[in-house]
Amino acid sequence: MRTRLLSLLLLMVPCTVALGLYRVEADTLVAQGARAYISGDHASALRLFDTVNTAFTSPSLLFNIGNCHFKLNDIPHAILFYERALRLAPGDDDVQANLDLARQSVVDRINELPAFTLGTTWGKLRGGRDADQWARRSMWACLIFFVVLAAAFAVGARMARRLLLGASALLLFATIACVSFAAFRHNEVTDDSAAIIMGPKVDVLSEPRTNTTVLFVLHKGTKVSVLNESAGWFEVQLANGSVGWLPATMLERI
Amino acid sequence: MGSRLRPVVLIGLLFVSLAAIRAQEIGFTAAVDRNSIAAGEYVKLTVTLTNSQERFELPAFGGLAVVQGPFDNSSFTYVNGRMSGSIGRTWVLTATSPGKYIIGPAKARIGGGVIQTTPIVIEVTKGAERPSDAGAAQGQSRDANLFATIALSKSKAYVGEQLVATYMLYSRYSNIELSKYEVPKMDGFWAEEIDLGDTNWEDQLQTVNGLQYRVAVLKRQVLFPQRSGKLRIAPLELSCLVNRSFFSRGSSVSIKSNSVEVNALALPASAPPAFNGAVGELDMNVKVDRTAVKANEAIELTITYSGRGNLKLIEAPKLTFPGDFEAYDPKVTDKISVNASGMSGYRSFQYLLIPRHEGDFPLEPISFSSFDTRSASFRTVTADPMTIQVSPGDGSSATMIQRPSKNDVEVLGKDIRYIRTGDLALHPAGEHLFGSPFWFAGMGTPALGFMLFLAWRRKQEASQRDVAGTRRKQADRVARKRLAEAEQALRGSDRGAFYNALGKALHGYIGDKFGLGPAETTDANITARFLNYENGSAVAQEYMKLMTACDMARFAPVEDRPRQQIYEEAVALIGRMEQLVRA
Repeated sequence: MRTRLLSLLLLMVPCTVALGLYRVEADTLVAQGARAYISGDHASALRLFDTVNTAFTSPSLLFNIGNCHFKLNDIPHAILFYERALRLAPGDDDVQANLDLARQSVVDRINELPAFTLGTTWGKLRGGRDADQWARRSMWACLIFFVVLAAAFAVGARMARRLLLGASALLLFATIACVSFAAFRHNEVTDDSAAIIMGPKVDVLSEPRTNTTVLFVLHKGTKVSVLNESAGWFEVQLANGSVGWLPATMLERI
Repeated sequence: MGSRLRPVVLIGLLFVSLAAIRAQEIGFTAAVDRNSIAAGEYVKLTVTLTNSQERFELPAFGGLAVVQGPFDNSSFTYVNGRMSGSIGRTWVLTATSPGKYIIGPAKARIGGGVIQTTPIVIEVTKGAERPSDAGAAQGQSRDANLFATIALSKSKAYVGEQLVATYMLYSRYSNIELSKYEVPKMDGFWAEEIDLGDTNWEDQLQTVNGLQYRVAVLKRQVLFPQRSGKLRIAPLELSCLVNRSFFSRGSSVSIKSNSVEVNALALPASAPPAFNGAVGELDMNVKVDRTAVKANEAIELTITYSGRGNLKLIEAPKLTFPGDFEAYDPKVTDKISVNASGMSGYRSFQYLLIPRHEGDFPLEPISFSSFDTRSASFRTVTADPMTIQVSPGDGSSATMIQRPSKNDVEVLGKDIRYIRTGDLALHPAGEHLFGSPFWFAGMGTPALGFMLFLAWRRKQEASQRDVAGTRRKQADRVARKRLAEAEQALRGSDRGAFYNALGKALHGYIGDKFGLGPAETTDANITARFLNYENGSAVAQEYMKLMTACDMARFAPVEDRPRQQIYEEAVALIGRMEQLVRA
């Protein structure tokens, strides 16, 4: 019994060490990338940041990658990464500013309906915490709720019990709110229905095969939402409602 | 005309002097008042025949036009009985174009022979600028007595180059009154009036195709074409009242002048960046009243544009001064005259600069680009660079507290915001806490804990509700504890303590077992309770006996049996009572 436990512990140690090392490595890679960016070597910076991005992610990292693409004049990828960063951290000023600048060089102008938001405060509240943070909060809120409820049952004095019951009702509300936020953000973060056109010019067709009617033409950097997928073809919808098919190689999901 | 001699006198004199004259020597001359004139000017030709009455042939004028004449005159003199006389003829001649004109000889037949004058050469030079006669000739063809013309100093000009338009009225009427005239609208030109003063009827007469006219300059304008192409000036329309006198109301005549066209040439495309529309023969001069000052003292920078051209269109140059200089809007001084030769003079801009801090401040070189009409090319003049040396201000001089002027931050360029450095708050990609087993466990554990808590609590409450049961359950244990005390006292040979503990153990056990308070544990009560059980009376009796023995031993020195035996009996009794109650 004891030997088995020991062997398990011994097995776990290298694992955690490896994970820890990798984390440290990622941080040094990020620092190297930032130095390369400062010295104007945007291509190396991009390579370093991309390496980190294979295992780790964060809005700031995606933002940096977007900047590298922008500096290398690859606007579609810059937009793609800014959109990804914005998905993780909606309402981020820096990302939004750069995305707006990058979008200026997009050829297609589609009359986009203004997104319904309850102002920036709501956006910040929603976006400042990622899904994990909301999930953590929901766990804490749930724990405190049950503790307070138990205390309400345990306490003898009538007044104290009422107060505790009121507090627990608030905590229940907070728990539900946290869970819904977490669920909402989780959906947003894992939503990959949007995509960016990568090809310089793409014919959007009426059917998922070549040599059919060309419905409209899109240019690089335009944002579309993917409705369907079929054997290397995507059915996409524009912000103005137009729908058509285009080859999967021509776009990249956010 | 008044110089013509009266025929009566002339005939009389001729008759009287005829014999006398005949005796005199005959002379025949031709003379001009000057040999060289400018085109349009006049020359007086006089042919004189002395001491003869013969007719003479007119000379050939060789291309010169007769403006006036001929006028005849004759004179007779009588000196010491000898009479001499002469006959003269005078013409006023003019030429319209420059060149050499020869007035041919005049011939007179005297007696049998012919005498003739010597030919005269008249040099006609290029005259002062005269409005072209083409317009006048054309006007004359419309109405020989009254016509108006528009004459241009040149018909071809660059955009912005000045030209002079003259509006003239030609009249052969002795009496003319201008009732109204309308100046055509200038389309495509910027026009500047030339002040003509009070008198606008020219003194000189002008001859057009041999006819004499009085000429009035109605108006003069300096015109600057504003765009390239053929620009047309509409005809001048006017109405006059002619031949008005004391006896007549006169008649009204409406006339229209010719319409003229200016061919405006576009400026070459290669305009320098500093060019802002100055055209003409212009120059720039930059002057600074001093180059070494103390801080907070004023400097005067004067930029003067001078020459001929569209001076009035020159705007203040856009200058940028060092940031520490306070610059005021320039004061504009004009000395521009507009006359028949166009617009000329100067325009100067006077800038007042006040350096607020010491140091050497180079002023950026000021340049001026204009289109030079002489060479038909752009010309850029750049002033010498200047440096203003500012020494620290005089502390004693009262200076205002200077606040730096606030400017909006200028957006010069756009770029993306800089990357994030430092801790990027990396987390493993693709891992989400929400929905993970850990999260579900975290959410479920408190709920489970709460349920367990509730279950435990319910059980607790249920048992608390039955206090007597608890007491009964614990009676045996309490009794045993007291018996243990008694046993200890037994070993210690403490008689009082032993019996006291033993009695308490028995008494307490009964109280606990039957749920009786201290006041209720009377012998009768205890017996009644024991009677509820089967074989209870025997146990009751035994209990009573043992209690009596204990009391006896405690309060009186009577011990009927050894303590060890009493103890064992008590233990056995409690065991029996326990069995009884449980059964």
